[in-house]
Amino acid sequence: MTTETRNPQRQDETLNSIGIKKPRIDGILKLTGGADYAADRNLPNQTYGYPVTSTIASGELTGLDLEEALNMPGVLDIFHHDNFDRLSRSPNDFAAENKVGEPRLPFEDNTIYYQGQYIAFVVADTFEHARAASRKVRAHYRKNDEQLTDIATLDSGEGELPGEDVPGDASSIGDADTAYAGAAVKLDQRYSIAQENHSVMEMHASVAHWENDRLTIYESSQGVVFQRNALSNIFGMPLEKVTVISHFIGSGFGSKLFMWPHAVMTAVAARRLGRPVKTVLTRQQEYLNTGYRPKSLQRVRIGADQSGKLLSLHHDGCNETSPAGLHDDTVSASSMKMYHCENVSATNHLVTVNKCAPTSMRAPGEASGNFALETALDELAIQLEMDPLELRRRNFAETDLSVQLPWSSNHLKECWDNAASRFGWDKRNPTPGAMKDGDEIVGYGMATQSWEAMRQHCGARVGFRDDGTLLVACGTQDIGTGTYTIAAQTASERTGIPVEMIDVRLGDSSLPAGPLSGGSMATATVLPAVSAAVREAVEKLKELATAEGGPLENAESDSIEIKDGRLVSGDRSIEVAELLRQNRVGMIDGEAHTAPGDEKNQYSFRSWGAVFVEVRWDPGISRLRVARVVSTIDAGRIINPLTARNQIEGGIVMGLGMAMFEETEYDPHGYPYNNNLADYIVPVNADMPQVEVELLNHPDYLLNEFGARGLGEIGLTGVAAAVSNAVYNATGKRIRDMPVSIEKLLSA
Amino acid sequence: MAPVIRHSTGVGFCTPGAQADIAERPSAVSGKTSETRRITLTVNGQQHDLQVTPNAILLDVLREQLNLFGTKKGCDHGQCGACTVHVNGQSVNSCLLLACMQEGVDIVTIEGLAESAGFEQGHHPVQEAFLEHDAYQCGYCTAGQMMTASAVINDDTIDGDEVSLREALSGNICRCGAYKNILDAVQSARGKMRGGQ
Ligand code: FES
Ligand code: FES
Repeated sequence: MTTETRNPQRQDETLNSIGIKKPRIDGILKLTGGADYAADRNLPNQTYGYPVTSTIASGELTGLDLEEALNMPGVLDIFHHDNFDRLSRSPNDFAAENKVGEPRLPFEDNTIYYQGQYIAFVVADTFEHARAASRKVRAHYRKNDEQLTDIATLDSGEGELPGEDVPGDASSIGDADTAYAGAAVKLDQRYSIAQENHSVMEMHASVAHWENDRLTIYESSQGVVFQRNALSNIFGMPLEKVTVISHFIGSGFGSKLFMWPHAVMTAVAARRLGRPVKTVLTRQQEYLNTGYRPKSLQRVRIGADQSGKLLSLHHDGCNETSPAGLHDDTVSASSMKMYHCENVSATNHLVTVNKCAPTSMRAPGEASGNFALETALDELAIQLEMDPLELRRRNFAETDLSVQLPWSSNHLKECWDNAASRFGWDKRNPTPGAMKDGDEIVGYGMATQSWEAMRQHCGARVGFRDDGTLLVACGTQDIGTGTYTIAAQTASERTGIPVEMIDVRLGDSSLPAGPLSGGSMATATVLPAVSAAVREAVEKLKELATAEGGPLENAESDSIEIKDGRLVSGDRSIEVAELLRQNRVGMIDGEAHTAPGDEKNQYSFRSWGAVFVEVRWDPGISRLRVARVVSTIDAGRIINPLTARNQIEGGIVMGLGMAMFEETEYDPHGYPYNNNLADYIVPVNADMPQVEVELLNHPDYLLNEFGARGLGEIGLTGVAAAVSNAVYNATGKRIRDMPVSIEKLLSA
Repeated sequence: MAPVIRHSTGVGFCTPGAQADIAERPSAVSGKTSETRRITLTVNGQQHDLQVTPNAILLDVLREQLNLFGTKKGCDHGQCGACTVHVNGQSVNSCLLLACMQEGVDIVTIEGLAESAGFEQGHHPVQEAFLEHDAYQCGYCTAGQMMTASAVINDDTIDGDEVSLREALSGNICRCGAYKNILDAVQSARGKMRGGQ
């Protein structure tokens, strides 16, 4: 096994598998019902868990009436505060890779922190029995008079945002106060984003199973290694005795990055009963207990000169967090980097509300912050009577001033030009309501898109087999982004073995530790590890081939290349599988561990994009719709254009949800009453505008040898601002609170 | 009403007696069984004799009793389409059907889609089109999308234009947002299955 931190530079190579549109290698499994998601198994002697949740948001649980539930058919046991195992909390540390969604253990104390908190866990022989019994559990509470479920109630709408400063969250360059005071043109506005829930199609699920002192848990997880580490801490077990498996995930968007308490309840119940337990949360519970993008309030102050040059930028954010788990969404952080401005100040406040813990949701923080900044820039452009795109061009950030580093690669200007010309931005009439088409009023808006590019350490193993196939294994996951396929493309690129002959194993914590599937970092992280593992295995193959009597006997190791699955030296060559068969070796493997070097201290890494939106407002029937979205993305080398474009389009769809529909609504008692897919509105096919995405393909070799950055988040950024800016262009109404609902539009 | 077991002081839960009671129960606490009935379901051309409770839902029976995991649960309330199957050729939400009322009908799930349409070897044109057009990401909504799509393509009352198809496919949520590719795949499969129609 090797450990590598270098980035082999291969700028001039021609690639054969990478950069090619490849249908997913796991596609047939997904299309025939053969892909095994967490709950897609029935283990021998399996039982069913069903959580019971609190119906108050703040107070104390004073008693549970369980007898009726215990006497229901098929009930095996009910777990709760008085009979639950005494466990230890996970240290909940991101760097140590044991962060969890809610650090509090299930039933840890009698305090109720939020509505939906688990108060009991029923286990029965069938799903129907568990569900029926759960409804017979009666809880008694002492309710606190005071509870807080909406930060907006603390906000005067002017001046300082509510909440507490988060130490370490305030960053600044220059002197934003002084520069603001002296600026000729000023803007000071408030913005907000409603709470959004991930609403992943596959509900969270755990199937836990103990064999003696070993725990195997099938979980819908974006981070099997994190969950394995957390469970090992919680149960006080060695790492190798816990296995977390997540072969397929019905997506996560952040809600499955960090383990939630249902997994702990399920594992405890399985141990106590000596039988496997399957728990699938209900759709309603998903909205109570598995995180969300917190509601944020924001204030943006900009000082500029008459030419549109930014002189000062203040971006203050404030997000809701929970007593059950702190989450800082850092909504203003990216504003430090987006444009050339020498005086910037960014802060974030937190307010604790009686809701479950918020968590990362696709483009966490940045999607919210980008909305406020990119809407504010549109307002500034209007104040300056300047084209909003021109305003951005005049403030292009040649370097990352916040850290005084050059960009590794930045093609934002090309994104602006490319998207603007495909969209037809030059036909925009800046006067609100001036563009008409039949009964509809047309509006154009745009925004810059951006997301940080990251890379983590990663292990991977490959194995050449004597049947000609190649095994690739990594303890990361494919959450629908196409990781299985690009791992195969990478191995194919480096061996010449066709993608169809490559067997990729992911989603198992017993494999070499890989990254979370989140933050758009999996591609940049996993591919170099796969490539390094191939190099490691090829070195072993060379030894075999050059040994005495071997097919490449006496060949210099450096003269040997691997091509089309063959080791080639001059005019001699041998098929790898044949070499293994000749030596009666079933498999030769290689394992490598790669990590970023110090490039982060030399360059700033970000992906960029531009999104242009056309909305249509029909005042006769009060209908607003998004008709067209054009986006151009600079995310380094595109490994698989087929799956990559799909990722960006999916991000745009979720951005449309943020802009137009999505809002988790709470009643005064802290209950999210639209906790289902009919009332929490997400885009469906009929809502879809025409979407045209173009991916620039400029490799960023400073991040990794393939020049890939990542695509999961960036598509969503900018969309809400571009929609709101287009709505202004159509209607003259400035909606600063997402989503733009018809009610807001009619009352503005 | 069962007697209330509760601790009145607020320091704990359940009376000590009840607590011990739970601890001592090794297996099914009540020993009670619920009323079940025997039914025969025809799924993907095969007959299955099953014992189900009257409130068992078809979706749960397919998954938990027949191990047909291709059909997914996304809401359990008829709101998302992930559980779509064919009953006598019509697409329906299997989460809204009581299992015991499905005797005597032909149920087809994603596992049997190709065969039910006469593609004994290989895949249904909708499956092929979904692969080619990358009409999915996580794949969780996908079985439901394809079961709806194959029924929509066969439905003479639904036109093949973009607006009609998008409308007809809108009972199936794809949170990954693969809608553009889903539409492309359905249009392509429709072209292949219906020719010029
Ligand atoms: S699970 Fe049946 S419609 Fe959602
Ligand atoms: S592919 Fe993930 S929900 Fe549709």
